[in-house]
Amino acid sequence: MKVKLNIDETWEAAFSTKLEQDGPWSAWDLYKLAYEIEDQTLISEFEGLQSPKHLADLTPLPHQLEVAKQVVETMNGKAILADEVGLGKTIEAGLILKEYMIRGLVKKVLILVPASLVSQWAMELNQKFYIPAVPQRKSYVWDQCDIVVSSIDTAKRSPHREIVLEQDYDLIIIDEAHKLKNNKTKNYEFVQSLKKKFCLLLTATPIQNRIEEIFNLVSLLKPGHLGNKDYFEELFSAKKRSLQNDEHLKELVNKVMIRNRRHDTGIEWTKRIVQTIPVEFSPKERELYDAITSFKGNGLHPSSAFSILTLQREACSSREAVYMTLKNMLERQEDQNSALTEHMITPLMELLQQVPQNAKAEKVLELVQKIDDKVIIFTEYRATQLYLQWYLKQHGITSVPFRGGFKRGKKDWMKQLFESHAQVFIATEAGGEGINLQFCHHIINYDLPWNPMRLEQRIGRVHRLGQKHDVHIYNLAIQHTVEEHILKLLYEKINLFERVVGELDDILTKLDLKNIEEHIQDILFHSRSEGEIKIKMENLTSIIQYEDSEEDQHAAN
Amino acid sequence: MQQTDIHQFLKRYFLANNCSIVTETSSYLTVQLTIELDKELMNRPFYWHYIEKTGGEATPASLTFITDPAFEDDSVQGERIHFGSPRLHQIFASTQKLGGFIHLYEQVASAQPTNQPLHPWLALNIKVSYKCDRKKDELLSLGINLINGQIIESFHELIINQNLSSKISDYCFTLSPFIKPKSAIARLTSYVTDYVKAQPTEWAEKAQERWYEDLALLDHFYETAEELPEIYMTEKTALQELYEPTILFKFINGGLFYISPETMSRQFNKTQAG
Repeated sequence: MKVKLNIDETWEAAFSTKLEQDGPWSAWDLYKLAYEIEDQTLISEFEGLQSPKHLADLTPLPHQLEVAKQVVETMNGKAILADEVGLGKTIEAGLILKEYMIRGLVKKVLILVPASLVSQWAMELNQKFYIPAVPQRKSYVWDQCDIVVSSIDTAKRSPHREIVLEQDYDLIIIDEAHKLKNNKTKNYEFVQSLKKKFCLLLTATPIQNRIEEIFNLVSLLKPGHLGNKDYFEELFSAKKRSLQNDEHLKELVNKVMIRNRRHDTGIEWTKRIVQTIPVEFSPKERELYDAITSFKGNGLHPSSAFSILTLQREACSSREAVYMTLKNMLERQEDQNSALTEHMITPLMELLQQVPQNAKAEKVLELVQKIDDKVIIFTEYRATQLYLQWYLKQHGITSVPFRGGFKRGKKDWMKQLFESHAQVFIATEAGGEGINLQFCHHIINYDLPWNPMRLEQRIGRVHRLGQKHDVHIYNLAIQHTVEEHILKLLYEKINLFERVVGELDDILTKLDLKNIEEHIQDILFHSRSEGEIKIKMENLTSIIQYEDSEEDQHAAN
Repeated sequence: MQQTDIHQFLKRYFLANNCSIVTETSSYLTVQLTIELDKELMNRPFYWHYIEKTGGEATPASLTFITDPAFEDDSVQGERIHFGSPRLHQIFASTQKLGGFIHLYEQVASAQPTNQPLHPWLALNIKVSYKCDRKKDELLSLGINLINGQIIESFHELIINQNLSSKISDYCFTLSPFIKPKSAIARLTSYVTDYVKAQPTEWAEKAQERWYEDLALLDHFYETAEELPEIYMTEKTALQELYEPTILFKFINGGLFYISPETMSRQFNKTQAG
């Protein structure tokens, strides 16, 4: 076979200049050293990893080394790294990047991560891997720096977009790649048009709901690997197959995806200690909640049903959260878009103003004082977040707020403040993703999201590699409310909190519960009695438990 | 590369660059840089620009390298150096740059003042890389006699222990080369080309298979498209860049050595026998 030959002529040109000018010539010992260095750093095999030898301050775990080796040796550097949360996908990506850099196969790199993780990625690559990664701050960075870390949102926006699309990247790394599951989005289209040789997609949840999602991810990596759109839909979706029960599809996907489970790694994880803390409404709070509930079953429009459910959930959180929603509804009265009419809202507003205290917040205060250590509080509502911060401050407890909408620099700053100065970190849902807080081991779920995966992500911020303590999880639930139903009838039934990370997304994927959140809303709203809720929730949990036992059997076989 | 090798390497590098060793223990090394080496390693062009403009007194930096990972002593401020650390690789790169071109004569201690001819040899150390989506390297050292065109392999090994100097010894003279350096380099390049052609090509065939496989998938992906989008060509080019088997020659260093024919044949026989 004829192989292309490429001869670097720079030495020869410089040599001929030296001959013309008779020097200057190198010292003999430097000449010898140059040869020795080349001889000793030479990589004489295609196989094997060089990167660990270069990383004095990092001891990668066996499963991480195995992933890096497999990606380089058998996957041609195009892979979905889909380890469960907390197994160190960043380390795996770093090892692969380093390997390619040492071997001189990769120079120009683009790393796209959530905005909150940009600094963290750049720092880790620099400190652990000695890779001079630069967080994108100025537009000239794109063409002048070899290794750039940025958020997709920045990169895809003009004027950056045009410059980025001009670059020839050797490697592209995308963190939280499950966000690219929809091929109709601008982000997807942007990533698809990047010029790239090698590509790593990182996600803990490669498939959340639909099988098309995996098709879209794989097609970014290796177009055609799962066929084209028509072919794929005909073959797989039409027959309502799922990834798990189609061996052929599974095999194809496994060629481009690596997934390690916690229990495969042999690492000893610290325990999760879960405590449910029931809270009783104060009489006025109860009155407000009941008033909201009383609107149910009045033959309301479905969108109003949703609003009532939202208000119920907010009432379990704080009157501030309820207030914000009611206020918005009042403002929208004129354009007839409001779910509730003014004469329904006004009495609620009046009740709201009579609520003197927040029973849950009082419980939190008590808990935080008792814990006497760093605590993270998660809440779904921004109004609650502000209220809690104020309330804790009244009692001499400093806290740091955290939201998804914060700019990158502010997120880093808040994390640092928490680590060094504050006892409490109050995060809203959107802020839960993409920040690692393993220096803390107490989580209070002030209110609960209705999607178990999001709960898992919250816990994953803390219960991950590097966590040295058992993790304490406190769930607050107001008795005899929707919240209690979720906690008692769903989460506790399926042992969500004790589960190891990652099991759950497998199960939910298998079940193909298109949208578990909608499902739950449906049950809670349309049931006419407590008994009916109970039965329907039991049906749901028993499906999950059934899949669970199937899974165990598979594992046993 | 072991830590002790790194320690020795650093010491040799700085001494070869005329720096003085201020302190040395088995755990660390402090060196006083020269102005040249400060400019080479410290990356402070503005400082040097300022000094040169104002005629101020230049104070090149001194550096301490801790080469023993177990060393703990807060009174010693220094950079920890290990394989993979950016500073070490900067110095590696600097060595390649500063050690690229050689021009030396054999030192001949002659008892009687007879004229001793020295043959010109052109040496070339070449890194050959076999590259596709993976890569491996090989280092070849060749020398060519510029009088008769004889090519010797493992030339570096052969020359390394000779007594060499940048000045020609008394009573020695050099023969003028028949072969010009340019053509000598061409001959060596073609010699290496023949060598790599004789190597197994299984790696290249496998890479080509991978390439064509991905190409076929790509074609299939856009099979039903009425018009091929721009991305198709982008992907196609990327596949070529990723997989196409290529052999790269990179000249690491080389230059001219003037050696007596006796020494050469003695050394040559030694390596042949060994």
